[in-house]
Amino acid sequence: MEDMIHVDRAMSTQQDIKIKAKGVQVYYGDNHAIKDVDVDIDDKTVTAFIGPSGCGKSTFLRCINRMNDTIESARVEGDILLDGEDIYDPKVDPVQLRAKVGMVFQKPNPFPKSIYDNVAYGPRIHGLARNKADLDEIVEKSLRRAAIWDEAKDRLAAPGTGLSGGQQQRLCIARAIATQPEVLLMDEPCSALDPIATAQVEELIDELRQSFSLVIVTHSMQQAARVSQKTAFFHLGNLVEFDDTDKIFTNPQDPRTESYISGRIG
Amino acid sequence: MTKSSLLAADARTKKRNAAESRFKAYGFAAICVAMIALVVLLLSVVTNGVTAFQQTYITLDVVLDEDRLDKEGNRERADMAKVTTIGYAPLLRDALLTKIAELGIETELSERDVGDMISKEASATIRNKVLANTELVGETVSLDVLASGRIDGYFKGRVTMQSAARDANTSPEALELAQALADEGVIVTQFNWRFLSAPDASDQRPEAAGLGVAILGSLYMMAVVLCLALPIGVASSIYLEEFAPKNRWTDIIEVNISNLAAVPSIVYGILGLAIFINFMEFNQSSPLVGGLVLTLMTLPTIIISTRAALKSVPPSIRDAALGVGASKMQSVFHHVLPLAAPGILTGTIIGLAQALGETAPLLLIGMVAFVREYPAAFSSDAGLFGEAATALPVQVYNWTQRSDPAFVERASGAIITLLVFLLFMNALAIYLRRRFERRW
Repeated sequence: MEDMIHVDRAMSTQQDIKIKAKGVQVYYGDNHAIKDVDVDIDDKTVTAFIGPSGCGKSTFLRCINRMNDTIESARVEGDILLDGEDIYDPKVDPVQLRAKVGMVFQKPNPFPKSIYDNVAYGPRIHGLARNKADLDEIVEKSLRRAAIWDEAKDRLAAPGTGLSGGQQQRLCIARAIATQPEVLLMDEPCSALDPIATAQVEELIDELRQSFSLVIVTHSMQQAARVSQKTAFFHLGNLVEFDDTDKIFTNPQDPRTESYISGRIG
Repeated sequence: MTKSSLLAADARTKKRNAAESRFKAYGFAAICVAMIALVVLLLSVVTNGVTAFQQTYITLDVVLDEDRLDKEGNRERADMAKVTTIGYAPLLRDALLTKIAELGIETELSERDVGDMISKEASATIRNKVLANTELVGETVSLDVLASGRIDGYFKGRVTMQSAARDANTSPEALELAQALADEGVIVTQFNWRFLSAPDASDQRPEAAGLGVAILGSLYMMAVVLCLALPIGVASSIYLEEFAPKNRWTDIIEVNISNLAAVPSIVYGILGLAIFINFMEFNQSSPLVGGLVLTLMTLPTIIISTRAALKSVPPSIRDAALGVGASKMQSVFHHVLPLAAPGILTGTIIGLAQALGETAPLLLIGMVAFVREYPAAFSSDAGLFGEAATALPVQVYNWTQRSDPAFVERASGAIITLLVFLLFMNALAIYLRRRFERRW
């Protein structure tokens, strides 16, 4: 397990708290999917959610930008504060929230439009660009930051769906960061990608940490160890353990965490 | 246990293979039956109907005698209108007699019987022509006039010498005379534009009957259906599929829409009669009422196909749009609807084609009426769609009810026209589907 851990990971414990979740409960109909979860997510940090399938990590992630609103039977209780503001306050418009909290999905899902239009869509609907030149700049910047500019610059008018899986996922990341979010949620962003594309996306995540707070759900413990500074371990809807990634992987406090990372459960 | 060889099929494999080849044979046989039925249908329609697109004309030099047509001699249209078509018929008869005499053809036919070789419609045509241009009076004009239905039938093989001998309306001598005139080039067969443009004609003059009013009525109705059913259907589908809460009420609505699609079309006719004609007092036989009834009938089809098209858009596209901060409506109109458009268009065109071929509900709202005049579109008080018209399938129904066998030919010709329209619409649906289909 030693080889997974990046020793040079700079950790400062004094970082601002970006998202504060207190006593979050999620129900799907009668099914109690998330039980009393408290998490503090720091700014400019990568936080990984790990745990066996069905443990509720994706559900919790989708609570952070209220994507669960689209599921009829889902009910969320408790508080999730973004910069101290309750995102489930009735006055909050989820559309405005999602502009601040971007999301990248498990399966690459570019719009069946050109690469340019994929990235430009967010800025357009939020009115972030005053003119065409502005928009061009945002598109180029986003594609560069998503490390896909070199591959895409000559084919901006080509459909986004014509790219390879890894390129599509990076395009989706470019699309997500084009709206200049403050938090980026990633729901198993590499599960549909091959190892090379995974490595590219991971590198990208590490870069994006400079500007955003990132939350990544992953099935791969190696990935969590490689890219994150903080790790939360979910099991059966409970948050079992939440600590610095180093600690979780070297010195887990809970026997369930230890069983999971050593491969005995999950 | 003996060791089995891969080279010899065992009993189970043989049985499975036999079952598979039997199934393929059944499928092939089914396709063959369907193809044969289609071929027989098309052949019978085409062989009966293709002659409707040909029409027999007699070329005459008609002397427009002033003494008969304009007794006052003042070229006033009002005075000249007193002369009815009965006054024009002798002119045509005389012209034909002159022609026969000029060509030196011997005939035992009476003058009256010679006159009957010309369609009764011809005198109306020439009267309209003269009234439209009164200066023609006194001149001799060269005209192609319609031959009577029996003469027309003779050149199309429908009327034979044997059948003419038993027929009160014609005689073998008349046919012989017609043949002699045809040999001299006086009687000619031309492409029948009138069939597509002229209105219906009475039982006595099948040679003049055309589909003009029926085609126009059908087009008007399609316009009404398209303008109402498409927006209403698509809007309700989008609401039900994307916005409506999923609860008992929407379930009930959904079940009822499916049920409506299965309601026999004649029921919509009764509904239309009750609501649009008796209650709202729209004109009977008007394309407006027909269009409204067909709209009601088409709506479930459009709603069901639109919902299916919306459902087939992967949810990941909606997630992607919501994920970058699009509102629900933006995600629907920017992403879901364009992807569903080919399916919606196809469904709409299929629905329209269904409406175009529908007869039963139209019978109940009086579209089966005999309509002799074009609807006077813009000038009338009833408005563009309020005047009486008929529709293609109803015209077919109407013509098949008439006794003269010439109308069988007309009805088959109308079916061919209807099939061409339907074929065109389905081809358009396929084209649009191919054109706008996008992969994701």
